[in-house]
Amino acid sequence: MEKVRHPLGRVLIHLALMLFALYSILPFYWTAAQSFKTLKDANSRTPKFFFSPTWDNYRDLWLRAVPENGATIAYFVLLAIILLVALLLFAQYIPVRNGVIYAIATVGFGALLWAIPRLIEVSNFYDYFINTIIVTVGTVVVSISIGSLAGYALARYTGLAAVVILIGALAFRALPRLAFILPYYWIGVATGLLDTHLLVILTLVAVNQPFTIWMLRSFFMDIPRELEEAAMVDGCNRLTAFTRVIIPIMWPGIISTALFSLLLAYNEFLLVRLLTQTNWTLPVAISRFTGGEDPRHLTLAAASAVSATIPIVLVILFFQKNLVKGLAAGAVKG
Amino acid sequence: MNRSTFFRFAAPSIVIMTLLMLVPLLMAIWLGMHFMTYNNVRDPQFVGLRNYVDVLTDPRFWQSYRFTLVYMATVIPATIVVGFSIALLLDQVSGFARGVYLSIFLLPFIIVPIVGTLMYKQLFEPSGLFTWILRNFFHYKFRYNAFTVKALIVLYGIWYVSPFPMVTYFAGLQTLPQDLIEAASIDGASRWQKIRHIIIPHVSSLTIMILLISIMDAYRVFDSVFVLTELNPIYKADTIMTYTFQTAISVQRLGKANAMAVLTVVGVMIFLIPNLIQSYKQQIEER
Repeated sequence: MEKVRHPLGRVLIHLALMLFALYSILPFYWTAAQSFKTLKDANSRTPKFFFSPTWDNYRDLWLRAVPENGATIAYFVLLAIILLVALLLFAQYIPVRNGVIYAIATVGFGALLWAIPRLIEVSNFYDYFINTIIVTVGTVVVSISIGSLAGYALARYTGLAAVVILIGALAFRALPRLAFILPYYWIGVATGLLDTHLLVILTLVAVNQPFTIWMLRSFFMDIPRELEEAAMVDGCNRLTAFTRVIIPIMWPGIISTALFSLLLAYNEFLLVRLLTQTNWTLPVAISRFTGGEDPRHLTLAAASAVSATIPIVLVILFFQKNLVKGLAAGAVKG
Repeated sequence: MNRSTFFRFAAPSIVIMTLLMLVPLLMAIWLGMHFMTYNNVRDPQFVGLRNYVDVLTDPRFWQSYRFTLVYMATVIPATIVVGFSIALLLDQVSGFARGVYLSIFLLPFIIVPIVGTLMYKQLFEPSGLFTWILRNFFHYKFRYNAFTVKALIVLYGIWYVSPFPMVTYFAGLQTLPQDLIEAASIDGASRWQKIRHIIIPHVSSLTIMILLISIMDAYRVFDSVFVLTELNPIYKADTIMTYTFQTAISVQRLGKANAMAVLTVVGVMIFLIPNLIQSYKQQIEER
């Protein structure tokens, strides 16, 4: 619709949007503030808007014991993270192939995650963080690999079988998950896979598969058939035409879908809670802080909430365009 | 693409969905006919339909069903109204400001629901910001009780879900046919009339899609209720999912929980089947 021109109208529009933005981020601001307060400040009945910030909550959340040279190590780790993030953010300006830079960054993050527990005594929370990374990466890799094969096939094949699979997937996506998750427990006991990453990854892949194939299919539908037909005339078979011609131009769509898979895996609580006893991921670990007997649960919960949010905010900032594109594609195409 | 190539490409996906969705669903029906606790998972005892009868005559099950319906009836309309209004406002700004607003508005939707609820709850702790505002400016002493916990669940639901209709409507507004709007302007239509007679009909297919997805999601709301009630029965704020979870975890009656999950699936079919039939027809036509 055409824009409001009246200055007063413009001011009111921005005012309304700002108020809504304030309401949207208020819980984030408040929790972040609480996480940097001492327990006394955090429990103050009159909110302390000005306080001397402390790292204690984060230290107690992540570390079991405080080493003597703790500050040096902390600076080193922080510096390494900033360098790696900067490398990723400015990848397009560096005159090296992007794939190489991403590979270096991945190896760098891996090395960092490997090195940290060898430098300092970390707490269980670090283990839960590592579990979350393993489960999330595993789920994304498996569900995107098998999902793009299926999504491509569903976009190109017009037989009745394809329609039946699509509608079946739609039905499964809509059903309350507990109906599958409770039997997973039985499967876990029967196969002895309870409390393993493998079971969590496989079940998360299954639960996310309907969404993944629908979304990937809608992206594959946009790619003209002539493209792979030309490749097949030039001597490719279906599979090589798919991997060499279709996948490279599908990257934006694949990244959008991967982002949603990532969020679904990272966010999952119910499934992980039922299928694990010790190998928790972050949502399950954090849920333990709500209403604990520990008087410090208030500030520790705040610190854990912020800790779990930062990685996801970084990922979202990095892939924001893909995310909005994916949301819009899902919306417009249904 | 021919049939055999199709199945070769789709096989891994079909296998995992069959083994880990279709089979478990059928298993749930079967396990629901057994007396099973954590001690006899390997050797459940067959009891026929007793669990199903048990669930259907359980007043707490119906109470949680009622609260789930209340949640749906309050959160869904509210998020659609809020989402649509914000999308209209957002459509009025452009450039950098639009991107910033959009990122901020999407935050509640993207964050881990457990963490989001925890953060929202922090505002209502005894030392929280909203508790203080309510006490100081409205002379209302906020306490957790059966009413306020339910209100918090609904408020959090609106905070958390609104970005979804917002971003959907916003995408829909970008495809609005400009000539219709111009024609309406020439005919002297007011802004409100344009919204009422052009924009709302234009996005009606989106509204139906949002409604369907919201109904499915609200029906299985779990994470926020789990954090806000800590599964304390005194708040009487169980939803179907949290009550099923409690039956499985705290009460340890796995057979009854399975039966409950199956009945929940049957319950959602009322909304689902017409939608599935419509999608089926649509897909058959499109191919």
